[in-house]
Amino acid sequence: MDEQNTRRDFIKKMASASLAASATSIPLASFLSSCKGSVPKISSTADTVILLWMAGGMAHTETFDPKAYVPYEKGVESKRVLSTFPKVPTAVDGLDFSEGLESIGSVMDKGAIIRSYKSADLGHILHTRHQYHWHTCYEPPQSVQAPHIGAWIAKELGPSNPVIPPFIAMGQRFTVGEAEELKAFHSAGFLGTEYGPFLIPDPSGGLDSVRPPQGMSIKRFEARYKLYKELANKSKVMENGSDYQRESLMRSMEQSYRLLNSPEAKVFDLSEEPKEVYDTYNTGRFGLGCLLAKRLAMNGGRFISVSTEYEPFLGWDTHENGHTRLVKMKELIDRPIAQLVKDLDESGHLDRTLIILASEFSRDAIMEGRPGEQVKDQVPQPDVIEDEKFYGMHRHFTDGSSILLWGGGVEKGLVYGKTADERPCSSIENPVVIDQVHQTIYHALGMHPETQYTIEGRPFYTTPDGHGKPIMDLFGKPMTKTKDQDKEVLAS
Amino acid sequence: MESFNWILQLLGRFHSLLVHFPIGLLVVALFFELLTLKGKRQSLRAGIHLMIFVGAVSAVVAAMLGWLLRTYDDYSGELVTNHQYLGIATAVLAVITAVLLRSTLKGKFSNYRTYRGGLIVTVILLSITGHLGASLTHGEDYLTSVFPGNTDVYDDAKGLALLNELKNSDSITIAQQDKLNLEVRAIFAHNCYQCHSENKQKGELILENKEGVFKGGESGKVIVAGKPDESELYKRITLSPDDDEVMPKKGKVLKDNEIALIKLWIQNGAYWSDQALKVFPEATLALEKPDLPKAENQNHPIDKLIDAYFEKNDVDWSSVVDDRTFIRRAYMDVIGLLPEPEAIAEFSRDSNPNKRTALIDKLLEDTHNYTQNWLSFWNDLLRNDYSGTGFITGGRKQITDWLYTSLEENKSYDNMVKELVNPTEVSEGFIKGIEWRGVVNASQRTEMQAAQNIGQSLLGVNVKCASCHNSFVSNLTLAESYGFASIFADSVLELNRCDKPLGKMATVNFLYPELGEVEAETIKERLLKLSEVMVKPENGRLYRTITNRLWKQMMGRGIVEPVDEMDNTPWNSDLLDWLASDFIESGYDLKHLMKQIMTSKTYQLPTAHYEKLEDIKSDYVFKGPILRRMSAEQFSDAVSQIIKPMYAAVAFNPKGEGLPSSRIWHREIKFDRDVLPEPGKRYFRKTFEVNPKTITEAKVLISVDHSYTLYINDNSVSDGADWKKVDRLDVSEFLKNGENIIAVEGSNEGTIANPAGILFSMKIVYADESEQIISSDKTWKSTDEKPNDKWTNIDFDDNEWKEVRNYGTSNWGKLVAFSFEDQNGEFARASLVQQHPFMKALGRPSRENVATSRDEQATLLQALELTNGEFFNNVLEEGAGLWLRRYGEDSEKIVNELYRQTLGRQPTKEEEKILLAALGDQPKKEELQDIFWSTLILPEFQFIN
Repeated sequence: MDEQNTRRDFIKKMASASLAASATSIPLASFLSSCKGSVPKISSTADTVILLWMAGGMAHTETFDPKAYVPYEKGVESKRVLSTFPKVPTAVDGLDFSEGLESIGSVMDKGAIIRSYKSADLGHILHTRHQYHWHTCYEPPQSVQAPHIGAWIAKELGPSNPVIPPFIAMGQRFTVGEAEELKAFHSAGFLGTEYGPFLIPDPSGGLDSVRPPQGMSIKRFEARYKLYKELANKSKVMENGSDYQRESLMRSMEQSYRLLNSPEAKVFDLSEEPKEVYDTYNTGRFGLGCLLAKRLAMNGGRFISVSTEYEPFLGWDTHENGHTRLVKMKELIDRPIAQLVKDLDESGHLDRTLIILASEFSRDAIMEGRPGEQVKDQVPQPDVIEDEKFYGMHRHFTDGSSILLWGGGVEKGLVYGKTADERPCSSIENPVVIDQVHQTIYHALGMHPETQYTIEGRPFYTTPDGHGKPIMDLFGKPMTKTKDQDKEVLAS
Repeated sequence: MESFNWILQLLGRFHSLLVHFPIGLLVVALFFELLTLKGKRQSLRAGIHLMIFVGAVSAVVAAMLGWLLRTYDDYSGELVTNHQYLGIATAVLAVITAVLLRSTLKGKFSNYRTYRGGLIVTVILLSITGHLGASLTHGEDYLTSVFPGNTDVYDDAKGLALLNELKNSDSITIAQQDKLNLEVRAIFAHNCYQCHSENKQKGELILENKEGVFKGGESGKVIVAGKPDESELYKRITLSPDDDEVMPKKGKVLKDNEIALIKLWIQNGAYWSDQALKVFPEATLALEKPDLPKAENQNHPIDKLIDAYFEKNDVDWSSVVDDRTFIRRAYMDVIGLLPEPEAIAEFSRDSNPNKRTALIDKLLEDTHNYTQNWLSFWNDLLRNDYSGTGFITGGRKQITDWLYTSLEENKSYDNMVKELVNPTEVSEGFIKGIEWRGVVNASQRTEMQAAQNIGQSLLGVNVKCASCHNSFVSNLTLAESYGFASIFADSVLELNRCDKPLGKMATVNFLYPELGEVEAETIKERLLKLSEVMVKPENGRLYRTITNRLWKQMMGRGIVEPVDEMDNTPWNSDLLDWLASDFIESGYDLKHLMKQIMTSKTYQLPTAHYEKLEDIKSDYVFKGPILRRMSAEQFSDAVSQIIKPMYAAVAFNPKGEGLPSSRIWHREIKFDRDVLPEPGKRYFRKTFEVNPKTITEAKVLISVDHSYTLYINDNSVSDGADWKKVDRLDVSEFLKNGENIIAVEGSNEGTIANPAGILFSMKIVYADESEQIISSDKTWKSTDEKPNDKWTNIDFDDNEWKEVRNYGTSNWGKLVAFSFEDQNGEFARASLVQQHPFMKALGRPSRENVATSRDEQATLLQALELTNGEFFNNVLEEGAGLWLRRYGEDSEKIVNELYRQTLGRQPTKEEEKILLAALGDQPKKEELQDIFWSTLILPEFQFIN
């Protein structure tokens, strides 16, 4: 899909749904002392972002950056264990992944990998705090509520198809431990609820959120709206007050009515997929999330995240049985992610869709935190492993992890950055921090690096003080760079 | 080719020179052309024609050069693009105009009309293009920045006056020295701080303080006292604007009188005043209670003040709203509930001329509902909530109990402030802030949060900016913020600029030191001092801030906006100061202040009409209250009142903790960890002894998420499938002396693991009045394997069954109905309910930060929640069932009741017809549900008129 087409589709859809300027906000009487700063537009290489979120801390040495394989045997020393899986080759020469990720490996010729992501040093490690930091680019707490990256994008770019909310977050429920901390960053913050996430905890039920209430026929739904309009027209009692207030309320209701009554809502309906496609994706909720993400990306989604779901001590958050549990996690992600890349590539959508796979930090068998800034261990790990339960990466490591990217103008087959082959497996080349990751995403979408919003009298940038440069190497435009810049990043 | 690029680049730069040709020529041509209208001044014709032809050619050349400039110099952005396209369009039009003229001269047109039209369009386009070009060169605010009232601009008049004063005197006094220095510093502030401040030290030069100015920058001293010509600073500001070295680099060159002042200051020895520079306007601290204007037609103090204001602003008084509108407004504002139809009718009938005041008194005395309504306002303001970040690790504390009690007893505001600032255990949550585990940014340490929150909530001043660096929006400095935060710290804090330690310790101080000393040995003593200093009547700021907030709550817009920036100019300072002074005189009585506002004619005016949102933001003229939308809580409560209780459970139960039952379910484990229960059936058993005494009464309360069947001693007693509903059962007939067995088959629904739980309580009252309570707790046993048929029998062997797990209450809250006492149609007030997606969508903030202005935007996500949200639709559906039972199948009755209860009026004949047509003769649940929806969504319902 080229940009021209997208634009045309967009306009066409706008007309067909006859929505006012898409889903922009309709102010009533708001005195939040905030306003948008103006910056010029820059050219983009992507219209859509899909974030594949590996919640809970995915060990790079067990997944996309394998080190020396040490098989399990009773009595093996913990410090010898760097990887618990053998390496397997990928579609890119010289690039190896860990066993169990062969499918994703097979589509690496369509994407790139950053192997040198450094999480922030936030002291004592708390998953949700790092996740907050990853998604907002700001460390909690903040004196104002920081917006999620998806909310910034929704605010700046709006929906590219008016029927699809511009910020959709799939897979995460908020009934789990640390739920309040999760809610704190699944938020548009001061940008206002309009730009907040459209939450779909269970992708197979996604359709329910965009059609008339359950059990209500279209006919009844239409009649109900007609009745409301008739009554609203007759209700002449409110002759005072300002018209714009009443009108904006009615306009928002009309938008929602048209959206829910739109035939395009079937984008959310996974049962439209042929059975074999459905089955390929269906490794669980995450896999179905990838399937829905594919459908959304093909139909004008803007920012879509699919999470493996964070639940303390589950998923990637392996405090024990690391090896055996990772076998399962790999089964969960390998096939659907590879299929997502393939499907979007074949349909041509990958050109304008940026897929990113990331996690809040990595794990290690020995080190909690990072070299020089080690923090209190949260997981007991014996020096000598007598029980397979202790075989795996159970501690939280913040000095190196992997980010995968496909499409949206990203150079194909690129390997950027490197971690050490011996413990500590830290980033030793081209270290990347979160500001750069965000700026890279914004760059792809054509959002100016100094995009900001004035809240309570001060400018609040998408990244703290507008820092961080997009990683231009990823777009095939390597930048000349001094050693000092590396040092700067390493020091930050 | 590459090597010739510089030529093209050079040519490009001639663009800004050449553009003046078409501008000049074509504009003058048009002017002359106008002079020739009606056949006059034909002598101009030849000149006009030449100007048109040359103008068109120069326009084309200018456009081409412009294109070169854009290509070879680094220009980009929307403005440039617009300028480019308009420029090209102008050139094309200019050529067309020239061609038209030529054709006209050749006789192809009978008159000049077509050509003249072309010329006019060309000149219009040219003007726009020229304006955009100028914006590019001089900055977009080039024109607007000199508009009067633009506070960004350094006040020229003051400087000029001073300059004249000094020029005309031979010697300079100390007072003049002070003035001169402050003026020079103000010039620095407006023109130089951008790069040369502590926040941003370009060339290592700081012009923000004495030390920096005299220390100079990386190339040495910048000021040589007495010798302007040797002072680098003076040299640089007097260079030609084109010079590479000229200062200020960005923005504009200094004005002549500014340069003259700086010269004068250096000549006079570069004296440095001890006075602090106030760059930003600051409200005076003390209140000035004005004398009330005469205004003989008005009795109420507010009305007298507003009368004078109206006179000045040419606004006419409208007549006050009718009784029906007034009672709804008053109810909403004081108790947050809709008046019942009977109350409206009675109020309208009442002939007492003081009935409005009487109603206000009655409402303010309704302590229970007043408290539960205003709790939301205070929760927002004091960042208090029942859930949120921090609670998980004990890094946050509620003050709900304290707040609730304070509102209940109408605690005086000075005491509230004292107890917040110098807290006891119950109110310490406010200054304790929210603490996350791990390392946090220096500007977010809890002591700094205390300073920020006290500043924002209580004093209407922004301390947040100044906790990282000297503020860009107020006069507050980093040192002052750290001094303030140090009051709350065990030991004095070290200053951090943008999270980097400065090696400088703070000096403990209050933001407004003129109010008194706060330094002391211990925190306890400092807090005590602070609390006393803060509430002094001299601290007008504290009282203005709360007065302004209450005014906004009741009138829709503050006297100062935004309400957290109390240094902004009020639209009526007399009104604000009079009200705040009156508030102090009343003994800091919040209800007095509310009554004062509500009894005024001003409050009772019809909602004012404004064209657009901007009209109530800037250049605001008060004409009456602003139309407000019901808050999330008010809307929810209104639905609870009319349709059916929206929420069943509260997060805070003012009546105490209630029964000791816990939500229990089968313990589920994955990878050695407790996890959420999977869907499916689980079986529970509990045995207990009944005393060998006569039972007079045995009651059971049970509520299960998702559904259950209850057995007592092998008898199936009841079943249910709604965790929000409490089933109340009389079970005395099933009990027997000795050992008894309670068995519950519970079922968790859904497709993925999700919370489930049984909440159970049994109260047995014996003839001797002794009581026995059996509750759901960890003495119960459970299994996930389907047992044999005998499992509800006392003799069943449940040794293999496991101890249940207590799932806490956070997923469900405290069920209001889970009590053996009688319920009087009470519902869970939304203000006491834990944050819920429905209320969140309707604008209830998550209180991670102080939230003093709610987002009142009507958003799409919100409309979606109202339109297809499962939660809201279920409430309406269940409510329809209740109504049908209550009103039978009398459609007319239903329609009338609905309008009376929602809108406080009868439907008109027309409305009734529409409603009846939709409902039909024999109303069904679905149709009724849809009528509910259509009515509740009406603006007339959602707005407080």
